[in-house]
Amino acid sequence: MVRLFQELYKYRELLKTNVKKEIRGKYKGSFLGVLWSFINPLLMTLVYAIVFPFILKNTTPHYVTYLIIGILPWNWFTTVIAQGTTSFLSNAGIIKKVYFPREIIPISVVTSGLVNFLISCLIIIVFLICSGIGFSKYIIFFPIILIAEYIVCLAAVFLTSAINVYIKDAEYIINFLITMLFYATPVLYTMDMFPARFQKILLLNPLVTIINSYRNIFFYQVMPGIKSLLVIILVGFVLLFVCYKAFKKLEKGFAEEL
Amino acid sequence: MKQKNSSYSISVIDVKKSFKLFYEKPTTLKERLVFWNKKKSDEHEVLKNINLNIKKGETVALIGTNGSGKSTLLKLMTKIIYPTTGKIITKGKLTSLLELGAGFHQDFTGRENIYFNAAIFGLTKKEIDERLDDIIEFSELGEFIDSPVRTYSSGMYMRLAFSVAINVEADILLIDEILAVGDQHFQDKCFEKLKELKNSNKTIVIVSHSLGAVKLLCDRAVWLFDGEVRMDGKTNDVIDEYLKVCG
Repeated sequence: MVRLFQELYKYRELLKTNVKKEIRGKYKGSFLGVLWSFINPLLMTLVYAIVFPFILKNTTPHYVTYLIIGILPWNWFTTVIAQGTTSFLSNAGIIKKVYFPREIIPISVVTSGLVNFLISCLIIIVFLICSGIGFSKYIIFFPIILIAEYIVCLAAVFLTSAINVYIKDAEYIINFLITMLFYATPVLYTMDMFPARFQKILLLNPLVTIINSYRNIFFYQVMPGIKSLLVIILVGFVLLFVCYKAFKKLEKGFAEEL
Repeated sequence: MKQKNSSYSISVIDVKKSFKLFYEKPTTLKERLVFWNKKKSDEHEVLKNINLNIKKGETVALIGTNGSGKSTLLKLMTKIIYPTTGKIITKGKLTSLLELGAGFHQDFTGRENIYFNAAIFGLTKKEIDERLDDIIEFSELGEFIDSPVRTYSSGMYMRLAFSVAINVEADILLIDEILAVGDQHFQDKCFEKLKELKNSNKTIVIVSHSLGAVKLLCDRAVWLFDGEVRMDGKTNDVIDEYLKVCG
């Protein structure tokens, strides 16, 4: 474990340039550039905001703000999983030719997702002001939620990226699972639409707690469930450790399998 | 055999490497499930029990016919692939030039790519800043350094890549058949640079078929034949013997 941090520190420049490359390179050549980080979730929100009030009949007040606070962290999760899963395939060229700690790639995918999310949080701020909801002191819990989501993302990406090198189908299976997970997470709806027993099952999904916590601090302006967040961070660390170990095992064959 | 001597830069201890030869490699889940019990692969032993110690400051050439395992051994040293059994210990910062420009990003400029590429070799921003002028000067790209690499000719591309790798200043340099970079003028320059590195006590391992260059540069040659060390000694002796058998 100490070795890992030493290596990461040694290769910190690579990590930095990689994150930059992910963020800047993604939109390089496109006309609107980084603005897409804003436009994309806004367009998504627009579609849901038009369609869902028809389906759900009575939505919460300030539904658009409610939506955007759920969609942005959800976007961070999905883009990171989608990008991360195929990250070794798209970097096959370097993997086969140069040595560097392979962990750098999943870590930089998740980190660039974090940076993107933080940039897009400007949207949340704008919406909170425009809708007249404003801000509360509970905003100080924001970093804890960030950490929880970061750990969950990283653990997942370590596992999916390594598996996808060996089994190319993983990508499609994971895509399907993510779509399913989207409907099992209260991004579009509120939890209280379900009976209590059903809510308990939903809560097994760490993203439910994470997204609810974002809503608590921004939207409802109440204390987030600190205890369940800490449980996620703790369990997340254990999972991260297990996934990392599996990653280390699988990594040795990357150059041969790609 | 297994003594650890601190003067060794690279120790290869009892290394075996075998690759699986697939007739039809299962890459999808369906194939894996349907053909799970069919043995569709053979083991091919590329390296058989290699023992090799390279001292700090030595310049060693790996020679041999195609398929004798030279490049595999070099890849094992860089830790891109791992040995099936045995182990390899390297000391110090290691740079490999297996393929030039492997980490280049087409849309970025030459200057930005210097940063990316050098970062892959494990340099920090400060270290790259210090070397930037040397790298640009060595590449002789002039004003083209600020154009995207996709606009480069293949010669320019190679020159830039070589300039980055050679200026990383690693303790160990592993080179795979890339001495033929650019025109005669640039080749001579690379050769001079390698000599300079050699004289500054760097460890260099070269895989090459250009025996003339090897003779001039290396003090020691290792002849690999069919995954085994056939001969190990002074460059001239090994090359003479090699040419007798394979020439």
